[in-house]
Amino acid sequence: MDTLLSVENLSVSFKTDEGVITPVQGVSFTVARGKTLGLVGESGSGKSVSTKALMRLLPGSATIAPEAKMHYLDKHDKLIEIEKLKGKGAPIRALRGGEIGMIFQEPMASFSPVYTIGNQMIEAIRLHKKLGKREARAHAIEMLDKVGISNPQARVDQYPHEMSGGMRQRAMIALALSAGPALLIADEPTTALDVTIQAQVLELMSDLQKDLGMGMIFITHDLGVIAQIADEVAVMYLGTIVERGPTRDVIHNPAHPYTVGLLEAIPSLDRLDERLKPVPGDIPSPNERPQGCPFQTRCQHVVDGLCNQTAPLETPLAAGHSVRCWLHDEKGKSAA
Amino acid sequence: MATITDGQGPQETPNTQDTRQTKKETRAERKERERLLKYYSASQWTLIWWRFRRHRAAMVAAAVLAIMAVLGIFAEFVAPYGPTTRDTKYIDGAPQIPLFCDHNGCSLRPFIHGVKTERDSVTLRAISVPDPETRVFVNFFVSGERTRLLGLFPTTIHLFGLDDPKAKIHLWGTDDLGRDVFSRTMYATRTSLSIGTLGVLISFVLALVIGGTAGFFGGMIDNVIQRITEIIRVVPIIPLYMGLAAAMPKEWSTTQVYFAMTLILGLFGWPTLARRVRSQLLSIRNEDYVVAATLAGAKPSRIIGQHMLPSFTSFIIVDLVISFPYMILSETALSFVGLGLRPPTVSWGVLLQQAQSIRAIEQTPWLFIPAVFVVVAVLAFTVIGDGLRDAADPYGGK
Amino acid sequence: MLRFTFERALGMIVTMFFVSIMVFFIMEIPPGDYADRYAFRKYSGTGVNVTEADIQAIRRELGLDKGMIFRYFDWIGGIVLRGDFGQAFAFETSVVKVIGDKAWLTLGILFSTLLITYIVSIPVGIYAAVRRGSAADYGLTIFSYLGLALPNFLLALILLYFANKYFDADIGGLFSPRYADAPWSLGKFWDLITHLWLPAFVLAWSAVAYQIQTVRATMSDELNKLSVTAARARGVPEAKLLIKYPARLAINPVVSTIGFDVNRIFSELPIVAVVLGLTELGELLLRAYLDLDMYVAGAILLLLTAMIVIMNFVSDLLLAWLDPRIKLGA
Repeated sequence: MDTLLSVENLSVSFKTDEGVITPVQGVSFTVARGKTLGLVGESGSGKSVSTKALMRLLPGSATIAPEAKMHYLDKHDKLIEIEKLKGKGAPIRALRGGEIGMIFQEPMASFSPVYTIGNQMIEAIRLHKKLGKREARAHAIEMLDKVGISNPQARVDQYPHEMSGGMRQRAMIALALSAGPALLIADEPTTALDVTIQAQVLELMSDLQKDLGMGMIFITHDLGVIAQIADEVAVMYLGTIVERGPTRDVIHNPAHPYTVGLLEAIPSLDRLDERLKPVPGDIPSPNERPQGCPFQTRCQHVVDGLCNQTAPLETPLAAGHSVRCWLHDEKGKSAA
Repeated sequence: MATITDGQGPQETPNTQDTRQTKKETRAERKERERLLKYYSASQWTLIWWRFRRHRAAMVAAAVLAIMAVLGIFAEFVAPYGPTTRDTKYIDGAPQIPLFCDHNGCSLRPFIHGVKTERDSVTLRAISVPDPETRVFVNFFVSGERTRLLGLFPTTIHLFGLDDPKAKIHLWGTDDLGRDVFSRTMYATRTSLSIGTLGVLISFVLALVIGGTAGFFGGMIDNVIQRITEIIRVVPIIPLYMGLAAAMPKEWSTTQVYFAMTLILGLFGWPTLARRVRSQLLSIRNEDYVVAATLAGAKPSRIIGQHMLPSFTSFIIVDLVISFPYMILSETALSFVGLGLRPPTVSWGVLLQQAQSIRAIEQTPWLFIPAVFVVVAVLAFTVIGDGLRDAADPYGGK
Repeated sequence: MLRFTFERALGMIVTMFFVSIMVFFIMEIPPGDYADRYAFRKYSGTGVNVTEADIQAIRRELGLDKGMIFRYFDWIGGIVLRGDFGQAFAFETSVVKVIGDKAWLTLGILFSTLLITYIVSIPVGIYAAVRRGSAADYGLTIFSYLGLALPNFLLALILLYFANKYFDADIGGLFSPRYADAPWSLGKFWDLITHLWLPAFVLAWSAVAYQIQTVRATMSDELNKLSVTAARARGVPEAKLLIKYPARLAINPVVSTIGFDVNRIFSELPIVAVVLGLTELGELLLRAYLDLDMYVAGAILLLLTAMIVIMNFVSDLLLAWLDPRIKLGA
């Protein structure tokens, strides 16, 4: 497999008034060229922080633990050690946008309201491609056309507030892709959209991905969306990956109680007469991390003296499928 | 208890969780839990007070302001002399700082030097100079001028004074008529703070009525009121005040002038506040919880009193506090140029009238002491306003 | 845009109409009869014995025997149609003559003050927001608190004192004695410039303090916006990013409060003018009030307000040009 990005042992901590919190702890994952990794979890599980760390977009109060490794293979097959780059300067800027593009949940807020869509696209294009103004504009129009915006020649000169929500999200995708990144990070791109538009945007994204041969990290809290778009999935809970594996495998044979809970929480047409089963309880705040397994406070199968004492290690189940849960560990099985 | 907690589902009540926890709960943990419980059940005002208390600068400012208010309220007691009492033996005199030691040795009780009269060698005018050979002792709670405390209770006791009834102490010096700057500043503090308070109250009532009418009725009434507000906001405020102040008849008594001034300040202080009341009312009117209350059949009076008012009184209070400095600065400025309060009334502005020239800075800099009061009072109100704003904003968790 | 401009201009005229009514009321408030004061001024010291009949004559001559509404329209009509603001009896000439040059000097002071205000407060406010929580930021916060608390007539006095003591310079006034009554020339103009900075500095003091806080607050908000993170994620260089994205929007509240600043400056002008000995409208206004020379006072109040209204209009247009979202609402 052709690995585009590999992240190992990523931990991020923030200094706050209440002390140091660590919303991401020892996260590792890889993204293959042209494939999609889905990152799933509730808000506060550390999905967004991990990808922001990858782009070095974290605020000054955040530190990335020194043992973290974020290796990226760029378009010229040069290995870039992202964790070693300076937070400012040409190398990281070339990476941002040019190699790794990013789209966000709220398209309205991610555009500056006082510049046209075209202005912001042309800026991005000219930062990463050696194009003149006119060529950049032509490229911007071409990108808008590619994401399915009708009449792109006129739309390019419109302001974000002059577009509808779905169109803005398409424009946002066009903007992120205009500089030709090899990896796209999509941070809950469909959450703020209507269901029908959501489906259109998902289809568009997977088409574009095949078209451009991009790798993609798709962040969402919705396992249903993951099933449609991701090749691999990693389920995050309170800053750690609790289960990972090929999407089909994880969805059909979920191993972690949390994954099971997330799947049961999806409304389904087949089970209309059943009640929805939400995952009980709330995700603890990062400064009140439970001891042992992070999920033990909400887990129905908690083993006293084990789950609330020691954090489980990653246990392989099948090819590429692994879980962090005592129930699947020899030691845990005997204790239960 | 612990034996029956093995079940799942409905039995997982907070109660069973509690029993599980009490086993391990240390004293510190319990305290923490109680603290949280107290926090979550505290009322809005208690929360604001807690947050305000954490704002150290605002607490200091509040203390300073409280001291100022006390000084002003009890001016008759704090000030050794009346605001117009003249000491002809000590004109344009420098501040007399109580001493414990001088070249003749030390004393356990504070004293000041006596005053003797000499002729200036150049102008031959009689001038007062300190006489380092004599000592007059300072004492607390001495009997002195007869005054009425708060204007009501006759008394002769003053906070401090001199043992020798014939000598006078001028902590902050005297002006060109020999009046005690310290005493005058105390009385001025009362005037200036009270005029600010009355002005703010008047504009507050006006703002509530006008803004409330606009915000509650909306439509045409709102449009008209908006226009009027806009027109008042567009005229420069001090020149406007000046115009009204200039119209005060010269023969008016000091009391009439005083109340006219509060009216003038209050009469045009409301537009900003009224806008706030209006916009708050308009936005709250469509809030879900107000709509819900209406649908639930609550009476309008209950909706306004129980649901609408509490949600923005804190903002109104912040605005009130913030509008104090404008009142104080306006009064000071108007009196400073002779269009506000008139002598013999003393206010900070009236006192500063004597300090208009460079000559005053050079020769009698102590006449600027009231300016320090102005700056400190305005600063204090601004800092308290900021502290309150931070405390009142539930989302401002900076 | 054209329609927007037209609408705002119309609003401006309506506002000025109501303002003129208010100003007229203020002119009418002072107790006693204008004719009495006029007669007193005109004949005091001349030994002429003024009779009730004389006063009646003056009253008729000045149109004071007519109703208030008539007098208002007479007054405002004179201003709009003939540029005639009435008589300044304390000066025994027309208001226009009394005001004359002083209006231009006032504008000079106003614009130099605004210039200083924005040149200082915008970059400093942006800097404070970017360096939020640093020593420089705290220092600036303390400064702006002081700026708001220190009455500017005190600041003027302090500056005068220091200039006097350490530079032995008389920096008050608007002209050196040599040029005070001289006709306009290049030399006089330069003399004015060298005198203008002090009142401009004093008047800008509190405006700067206020605007620094505004810019800092907006800039801090803007810095946390997703659009800034998004632009950074596209690889926009930091300096360009700051200017193009958050700073561009942080200027908006400054632009929208230009009228407010002008209002504040005019509010403080009469008092600062007294201390600094400036011969412009603020000082004249104060004198007119003290003399109850209400035609002069009314004219000045009207002119100052007109300037504020015009600057509000300018600020509306600027804002519409700066922020594309506004035209929608127009």
